[in-house]
Formats: sequence, C-alpha cells, structure tokens
Amino acid sequence: MIEARNVIKKYGAVTALDDFTVDIPEGKIGILGPNGAGKSTFVKIALGLIRTTSGSITVLGEDLDRNTVDIRRKIGYMPEHDCIPNSMTGVEFLIEMGLVTGMSLQSATQRTHEILGHLMMGEEKYRKIEEYSGGMRQKIKLAQGLIHGPEVIFLDEPTSGLDPKARQEMLETINGLTEVSGTNVLLSTHILQDVETVCDHVIIVNNGKLQMQENVKKLMQRQTDVIQVRIGGSTEDFVKQLKKSGITATSGGRGLHVPYVNDKTFEQIVDSAVKSNCQLYEMERATITMDNVYLEVVD
Amino acid sequence: MKEKAQVSERFREFKAELTSRPSIVLGMGLRGFLRLLSLKNPWTLALVALIWLWTLGFYVLLSTGDYPCENLEFWDSSGDFKRCQPLVYYNDLGLGGVRLFLVTLAAISSSGLIANDMTDQSLHLYLSRPISRLDYLIARFIPVFLLLMCVTALPNLIVYVNQWGEAGLEFDWIKNHKWLLLDILILGSFYSASYSIIGLTFSTAINRESWAAGAFFLFVYGSAIIIEIFYLIMRDDRVLLLSIIHLLDIIGFYIFDTQPFFMADFGLFGIDIADIEVFGVFILIIGSCGIFVNWMISQMEANK
Repeated sequence: MIEARNVIKKYGAVTALDDFTVDIPEGKIGILGPNGAGKSTFVKIALGLIRTTSGSITVLGEDLDRNTVDIRRKIGYMPEHDCIPNSMTGVEFLIEMGLVTGMSLQSATQRTHEILGHLMMGEEKYRKIEEYSGGMRQKIKLAQGLIHGPEVIFLDEPTSGLDPKARQEMLETINGLTEVSGTNVLLSTHILQDVETVCDHVIIVNNGKLQMQENVKKLMQRQTDVIQVRIGGSTEDFVKQLKKSGITATSGGRGLHVPYVNDKTFEQIVDSAVKSNCQLYEMERATITMDNVYLEVVD
Repeated sequence: MKEKAQVSERFREFKAELTSRPSIVLGMGLRGFLRLLSLKNPWTLALVALIWLWTLGFYVLLSTGDYPCENLEFWDSSGDFKRCQPLVYYNDLGLGGVRLFLVTLAAISSSGLIANDMTDQSLHLYLSRPISRLDYLIARFIPVFLLLMCVTALPNLIVYVNQWGEAGLEFDWIKNHKWLLLDILILGSFYSASYSIIGLTFSTAINRESWAAGAFFLFVYGSAIIIEIFYLIMRDDRVLLLSIIHLLDIIGFYIFDTQPFFMADFGLFGIDIADIEVFGVFILIIGSCGIFVNWMISQMEANK
C-alpha cells in the first residue's frame, strides 16, 4: 500500500524522519510511537501535504514526487484535532466535503445519507454540528474521510480526547465502517489498545526510525508464551545456567523473558536461579499486551 | 434485512466518479458566491442593494447630458480638470460614495472566507482533498471577486446601456464605444480582483472574521486619510502610492486613459507619477499579499 525508501524529513535542525524505510501492506495498519516519533510527519508526507527532504515514497503505486494532489482522490484523511465547521449541519458538511473531493451533488448526497445511516444518526444529522457531542463529532470526522469511497483512510489519533465509552464506540465505528466499505486503514496513534482493537499489522516508530513491523496476531501469540522473571544477582550467570537447560532467555521490560514450553519450565527457572546463586524475586507467566512490546521496542 | 444487505452491498461497491480539479475549484467558488448572497448575510445583501440603488439613482435616473463625454465640463475653478458625467461615474468607483460602499462590502465579504477555515481548522480538511494550495486560494478568491463584479462591472454596464438608450439605441454608438465597454469590464475586474486579494490577505493574517473586516477597512480608508495629510504637507505625488485607494484610482484613470487626479482639502490635485512607479508599487503590494497568504497557508498545512 505504501512504500517509503530512505525518507528523511528535516524541520530546520530537527530530523522528524531519519532514513525511514518501510513497506506497508494492505489491510488495517497501526503506526505506533510516542509523541514526536514522526508518525504525523509520515502521514502528512503520505498524504502529499508536506515534501520529504530526501528519499522516495509511493502510495497505492503512485510516486508522490510526481503526483502529490491527485493521489488524494484515493485517500481519506481524518485529522487528530477538531476541524469541523460548527455552523453547518452534519448533512451539509458531509455533502460539502464530497463536493470538494469532486463528487457530483447527487452522489455526495446519496453517500452522505448512507454513511450517516451506518453511523446510526437519525434526526441529529440535520442539527448544527456545534450541538454534537465529542463522540458524534469524531464520527462525522471519520465519515468525511470515507465520503468518496477511498482505497485507504489515514486516521490520526482518532480516539484522542474521548472518554472510555466514547472511545470504545469510536473504535467499533472505525471497524464497522471500514469493514463494510472494504477500506484499508492507516491508524496513527500512541494508544496501544486502539491498535489491538482495529489493526492487523503494527509498525512502531521512534525518533524518526522504524523500530519494528509485525503482524498483530502473531505478535500477541508469540508474546503471551513467556515467563517474566526478575532476579537479584548475576543475570549473566543465570542466563548461562538456563542455556545449559536448553532455554534462551531474553531481556524484556524490567527483567528477563523466558519462553514458556510447559509447567516444567518454572522448575528449570528455579533450578537455574539456585545453581547461579541468584535470588528469584518474581516469576510470572506473562499475559503480555502490546504495552510490553511497545515499551521494549521504544526503550 | 434484505434491504439492509443491499445498502451494505452498495456501500461496499461504491466508487465515486470524481470530477477534474478545475471543476472542483469552480464549484467551490460558485457555492461560496451563492453563500455570500444568501439571506444569512443580510449586511452583504444590504450593501449590494445600496450600491445598485446609488448607481441607478444617480447615474441612470438622474443622469443628464450627452454620452459619453461629448460635453466636457470644467469641474474646478481653475479650469484645470475637465470631466464628463459618465466617465466620472465609471471612475467614481474610486472617487465617490460607491467607493465607500465597495470597500465596506469587500471588507465584510472577504474577511470570513479564509479566517473561518483557519479558526475552525477546516482548512486542513480542504487541503487533504485533491486540490492544491493554489486551487484552494482561487476557490476562496472567486466568491468575493464575483460579488464585487456584481457591484462594479454590472451596474456600470447598466449605465452603459442607459447611455446607449439616450443616444437613440443606435448600433453605431456601440461600435464607436467598444472601448468604453472593454474599459468598464477591465476596471470592474481590476477593482474586484485587487480588493479581493487584499481582503483575503487580511482574512488570512487576522483569523477572526470581524477583526479582519475592521482591519481591512481601517487599513484602506485610514491609510488614505493619513496619506492625504502627508501629501498636503509634502506635496509629493509619490506619497499617494502608499495608499491603496489612491493607487487603485490612479490605475483606474489609466484604464480610461484620462489624467489622474484626486480630491483633498476640498480641492482637486493632478497626479503626475511615472507609470513604472505606479505599476511597480501595485505589483509589489499584490505580489506580497499573494506570497504572504501562500506562506501562511503552507504553515497551517504543515502544522496541526
């Protein structure tokens, strides 16, 4: 879907993207990273809003250097911040966005009502947007990105500023609308649960560099099969001792991750701790979420 | 259920037929123009009506004399400035009551066009559509330009038709006054485009609609008054180039190929400035406005 090759983007002395190379497949893709990691910069470059300092990027097979504007016919965009004119009704706003994308009035009107129908909006669609709740505003923002039936929609922090209930509703709406319309998703966020709920592929970015790219399901499967161990004493000796038992431990978070095979693995860990004169502070079969992966990669 | 399934199917299969960029821009512009003329903008409508009444009242119903300019009148006691009613009217966009209404209308109608998009940040949504920054600016220029054309070129054309009527509806009159028709359109376009660009610059620079309108009006009229005072002290024609009103008036006179003059302190003063200076300053001002607006929007585009 998106291919970036050695992309560098500098704002004066600050490097937002540093030799960033990535192949983003079709589907629902999450870009995770802390604030200032370069996520939004990447989204804006992919949307053709800003140019790279160097490097090349293709979106849906089109070179952005040659086609920065027309590519947006195939892309929908939902910005992070509030950007909806309060003076319009939901229907007026969506029709206007459809027209600005190049749709005919008839097509934009029909599509508006279809989308609002999927969003379960009844009479409120004829109310001024200033009367909408935060959740409804987010839904309208999502709807405007899907109005022209894009091949991919870029979602920039779609659940930002929502309470837990509204957040869950928003994630369900994103899932529902993109499923039914068959639209690819590029979700930029720093909220791990959003990625877990919506995406089937995750990219972790930090300091303008690609840190990790993985299928979410595989990642979760792999990560849950570990025992998180925290010890006192020589970690090196402990790891060596484990190795003699045929177990390779890796550092993870605040301690070590030992691959879980069966319950006997716990005994092997205790034995190794005794033999290496280490104190075993903590040993727990980890139900690791994206948090652990994220912290590991970002740290 | 079946109906619901069909809706879902249609939703999934939807592929929008999208029109070309020029059509999108023109469509945005025309919708903006119609919104300016809607009942939601009573002050705009009132000013348009006022300008039309002024025109029809003073230059059609109460007009007398030969058209255009068969009878030249001396307008000042020194006998330096000859004028005739119709040409004064056409140039009166820059000299009389119409100018006051025109500047007010330009201030009111242009001030919200970009300012509102910046305030509610919908500018980001427009710029994420398949239009460039320049396309967006053209789309915001069109509504105010068309509106100002409605109160500059259009009433002038009615005056022209009235003159033709008073000349006996002779076809030869039209043939002999093709230049006048062309000049009317050029003058209307010139004033409309200039005030639109300056208005949009204020709308971008001060992203609050009412403040932008006030600043535009004060800048255009305030600078004119200050410059006239300076002129009376310094007696240097080039000072007038620093006032938007006087600068546009001078070029307005050029369009009708008449000698520029202006009125201050109840007297008429001829203006003698090299063409290159006049057009140089004009290009500098309009160019600076364009570069500034483009830069401001590009900053919005890159930042949240």
